[in-house]
Amino acid sequence: MTRRSSKEGIRQSRLGRIAPLARLGLRVGGRYLARSPQLIFASVERRAELRNDLALRSAEEVAEELGSMKGVLMKLGQMASYVDEDMPQTFRSAMARLQHSAPPMSPALASSVILEELGDAPERVFARWDEWPFAAASIGQVHRAITLDGRAVAVKVQYPGIARSIISDLRNVALLRRVIKAAFPGMDTGSFIEELGERLREEVDYLLEADNQEYFAQYYEGHPVIHVPRVVRELSTARVLTTELVSGERFEKVLQWDQHERDMAAETINRFVSRSLYRLHAFNGDPHPGNYLFHGRGRVTFLDFGLTKYFTDRDLAPLVEALRCLVIENDGACFRSALERAGFLQAGAPVTTETVVDRFGLFYSTVLSDAPMTITPALASAIVRRFFDAKGPLAPYSDVPRSYVILQRINLGLYAVLGSLNATANWRRIGAEMWPFVNAPASTPIGEAEARWERQRTEADKVAAAR
Amino acid sequence: MDQQPQTSVNHMEPLARAFSRSVSEHPTDGGLFGPQSIVWRVHRDRSFPLAGLRSLMIQALHPLAMAGVAEHSNWREDPFGRVAATSGYILTVTYGDTAAAHKAAARVRAIHSHVNGTDPVTGLAYRAGDPSLLLWIHAAMVDSIVHVVQRYGRGLDATGADRYVWEMVRFAELVGVPAKDVPASVAALEEYIESVDLLQATPAARDSIGIVLDPPGLDDDMREQWRELGQVAAGTLPAWARSMYGYEEPDPESMEREPVRQLIGALDVAFESLPGVMEARERIELRMRRAAGKAAESG
Repeated sequence: MTRRSSKEGIRQSRLGRIAPLARLGLRVGGRYLARSPQLIFASVERRAELRNDLALRSAEEVAEELGSMKGVLMKLGQMASYVDEDMPQTFRSAMARLQHSAPPMSPALASSVILEELGDAPERVFARWDEWPFAAASIGQVHRAITLDGRAVAVKVQYPGIARSIISDLRNVALLRRVIKAAFPGMDTGSFIEELGERLREEVDYLLEADNQEYFAQYYEGHPVIHVPRVVRELSTARVLTTELVSGERFEKVLQWDQHERDMAAETINRFVSRSLYRLHAFNGDPHPGNYLFHGRGRVTFLDFGLTKYFTDRDLAPLVEALRCLVIENDGACFRSALERAGFLQAGAPVTTETVVDRFGLFYSTVLSDAPMTITPALASAIVRRFFDAKGPLAPYSDVPRSYVILQRINLGLYAVLGSLNATANWRRIGAEMWPFVNAPASTPIGEAEARWERQRTEADKVAAAR
Repeated sequence: MDQQPQTSVNHMEPLARAFSRSVSEHPTDGGLFGPQSIVWRVHRDRSFPLAGLRSLMIQALHPLAMAGVAEHSNWREDPFGRVAATSGYILTVTYGDTAAAHKAAARVRAIHSHVNGTDPVTGLAYRAGDPSLLLWIHAAMVDSIVHVVQRYGRGLDATGADRYVWEMVRFAELVGVPAKDVPASVAALEEYIESVDLLQATPAARDSIGIVLDPPGLDDDMREQWRELGQVAAGTLPAWARSMYGYEEPDPESMEREPVRQLIGALDVAFESLPGVMEARERIELRMRRAAGKAAESG
């Protein structure tokens, strides 16, 4: 419900907002759009590791590579990529294999998908079409192109037949359960499979992803450091998703930047996650390092909205309450009862409240004190290990309720990303800007720019409403 | 029994090594069959483990063949190593260069020459090098591969199946079966299998297949999947073989193509993730593509 109403609100106010935003020096779009489409097209280079010599040439070859559970397990592997520390040794290599992207489609096969979905050969649908993809996607690949009206775009093309095959594979719950149980002994497989299944079923429909991405893109339009590429609706279908093409640096490159730059990038990623959760009630469910493009000075483009989860107020309320009890009130009993209401902990479990605070508190360790803190790789993996700890004192009584499964994955993934950046910030203050029970003032330069953007939004909405 | 706790994937490691070794990185030639052969295409099918299980089940029904295995091989102690050795042989003869294929065949013939004895059940003498026993082993394998790949693998039509059986005559010849005795079409193969006497599930056969279906040391999660694969393999047996083992008729739903392919796919992911497997598969694929490309250019 929340989703629909706020979405329409955004849509209605959008046109009215453009004029004041255009006067803002901060306007983010200019950075990307001022360059010529040809230049953007040229600057988005193909990744060398795609094995064109092994290109998939038919739907049958696609089925061999990604059908019969392989695509589903690969997706699982990608989602689990940041938890491999805790995986049984034997499954680490399997996960490494699963993260290996499938070979690209041959130009003819990709072209046949465009023909089927958009009604004509790509060379005629687009002014320029690069027949080889520049990036792999989990169930497809991404081509750069220039539209007939001159926009540089990224065209995600889905492997033919993969949607049907994934949906059929997801129905084989008994087999999935066994495989997942073997790979993640500490996990409640039932709720994970249900939630993963639902998200994957959504992910194969690019029209849903287009909706998700537009929801985020419209909300973040004009944001000083967060950018979400716009969707080109008329060139998007259930199997083809066309969005604005953005060039930027990949995560691996950012790891070589100086620490100040890395801190700013980390701050933006952190802000994106908490703002999306607390303001949009939505989570882009795939905190994979490959889903970010970096532009320096904290500016980040967020890609891939296939795995998006929307939350209701009811979903969020106990989490917000747990946070408030622990971080603001420092009240263990209140914290425990919020966790019990959320379903993370069985009510009346024979463990002390101190143990609960000690075990669950680790997940809040970055925001417990009002001071700069470095998220080290060691802290990130300690958090992940705690989450998958099947032997801890709380293990028999704790669980992740289904509606939070994706949220937990994202949190773990987020820690892994921030840990790789070795990022330092006063995470408590940054978080408090967004926490609904605090709404603290801006605590960093990025926070101030964000606050200005938010004021402009509000004014634009008022202007629009007055008209 | 006091067993070392072992991890499931490790059991497939000998097989992974055998696979990787058999597809040499620098072959001196295209081998006995060549990258354009149907043997190359069929032998990389992901349904091969299932075909392998079915082969073993049928091969074991010949008491003399079974006696040779029961009395002379380390099969009981190391079923995974044994399977890896046999698979390694098949893969080397298929994808290795000519020299490697001949070397592997010579080794197998040498081992066979020491395997002689008397079957305790029938009282008959056997020699592993006996062409009629070797033909049985060959026929059961080829029949199983055709059956399983047609049913659960990548496309293999009737013409392709005939061609495959014909190309495989070379396989039998290598271990010492005269080419003229080897069935060279699907029909001839079926006729031959029907014609063989002495088929019965001896205690040694039941015992061996019992180990195949539930090998020692598998961990629980792997065991369930392996058992399920064994059930499917038993389900693919011809009625006469099934009744010799006393297996019930399979539930048709569990034999459908889709769930069986999913099971194979999940196991294959575990296999493919072992070192060298994906690389070996890529070498095969690239050689086949290159050969097809050249043929298209010159033709």
